[in-house]
Amino acid sequence: MLFSHAPPRTEKMAVDQDWSSVYPTAAAFKPASVPLPIRMGYPVKRGVPPPKEGNLELIKIPNFLHLTPPAIKKHCAALKDFCTEWPSALDSDEKCEQHFPIEIETVDYVSAGTSIRNPKARVVTLRVKLSNLNLDDHAKKKLIKLVGDRYCKDTDMLTITTDRCPLRRQNYDYSIHLLTVLYHESWKTEMWESEKTEEDMEEYIWENSCSQKNALDTLLRIKASENVSNVTEEELLASEVVKNYRNSVIALKNEGETENNVSQYKESVKKLLNIQALP
Amino acid sequence: MKWEVHEGEHGVVTLVLSLKMQVSISDEPETLYKRLSLLVKGHDKAVLDSYEYFAVLAAKELGISVEKVHKPPKKIERLTLLKSVHIYKKHRVQYEMRTHYMCLELKYLTSSTAAVYLEYVQRNLPEGVAMEVKKTKIEKIPEHIQEPVWDTLPQVEETEVKS
Repeated sequence: MLFSHAPPRTEKMAVDQDWSSVYPTAAAFKPASVPLPIRMGYPVKRGVPPPKEGNLELIKIPNFLHLTPPAIKKHCAALKDFCTEWPSALDSDEKCEQHFPIEIETVDYVSAGTSIRNPKARVVTLRVKLSNLNLDDHAKKKLIKLVGDRYCKDTDMLTITTDRCPLRRQNYDYSIHLLTVLYHESWKTEMWESEKTEEDMEEYIWENSCSQKNALDTLLRIKASENVSNVTEEELLASEVVKNYRNSVIALKNEGETENNVSQYKESVKKLLNIQALP
Repeated sequence: MKWEVHEGEHGVVTLVLSLKMQVSISDEPETLYKRLSLLVKGHDKAVLDSYEYFAVLAAKELGISVEKVHKPPKKIERLTLLKSVHIYKKHRVQYEMRTHYMCLELKYLTSSTAAVYLEYVQRNLPEGVAMEVKKTKIEKIPEHIQEPVWDTLPQVEETEVKS
């Protein structure tokens, strides 16, 4: 018995129909339901790509027929009730940083496979700027020494990455615990910290250094050879030339050698030793 | 949940059970996400392009500011295998797997907005496409780090410390 095939549904579709009722959810491509003359596939010799009827390529590829712009707008209009607004006072990164200094980074993974779990999802990274923590000078230096590589000097950012616990919540608690311990330990002063030598210092301090001793020695000898009455060390230290020399040496050691720094050092040495410029 | 009359095409009238979702408001403070970075990976560039259009439009409709959309370069993994089951070492066949990437960065979301957007976008993730979501949450400094605790502890005796 031969049944005459009914004409495809596309012939009865109006131009202004509601497309989201034809494809409300993700579905395979049905050539009789999509009124578009699509061709897909490798063309026959001296011909065109095959038509949509019985075309496996069109069925295989994921289609977005259920996500046309009007459908997306409808979905979002329905979902808008569940969204909340971002507080308008926090409209820039600096303000966010000022009120909420700690940043916690977590990653979620979505993929198709035999299991939805991904072991990389338990990693938690905590970032905080040390200028936002309540630390004094000694505490800050001790914290930087304790933490080592995890502190970046250019951005003043401490980064703690934890993944030693099996769950993300546990890793987050552990990273907060680490931050608390580091903070409190850096405020403590141990007895052996008084044995800190010059090699351990992070920045150059001029007081009680060889540079100061040498400068004062030289000046005292100059004064002695000129037979001026004994000038005390404190007076020498308080004089302008010595202060200038001190500033230029500190700048050289801490900031490195720049044109400015080296010329400043030259001027201060000339003033210190009273050398006139060579003609 | 209630029955509603729905006028379909060609004058077909059906009774539809409609489920209107209820909005519930809770009192706990929302966690704030400074940045939400979606990295989408797939084998087909056209699918990722369509998905990008969908994700960007959805973000705009829900009022989320899109910082930038960029496409990191594709990575190709190639294998060279023996063509035959037994011997014929000189005849090989080469396969390659191309992974295309698309990165979408969103700024300033609350936890409810992020949950709504991520659920919508992940439910409509096409087959064969994977996604990694990097969330950057911002928080205040916890109370136990505001002041060092050594000032408030009572004085411990020397003998106790030594033992």
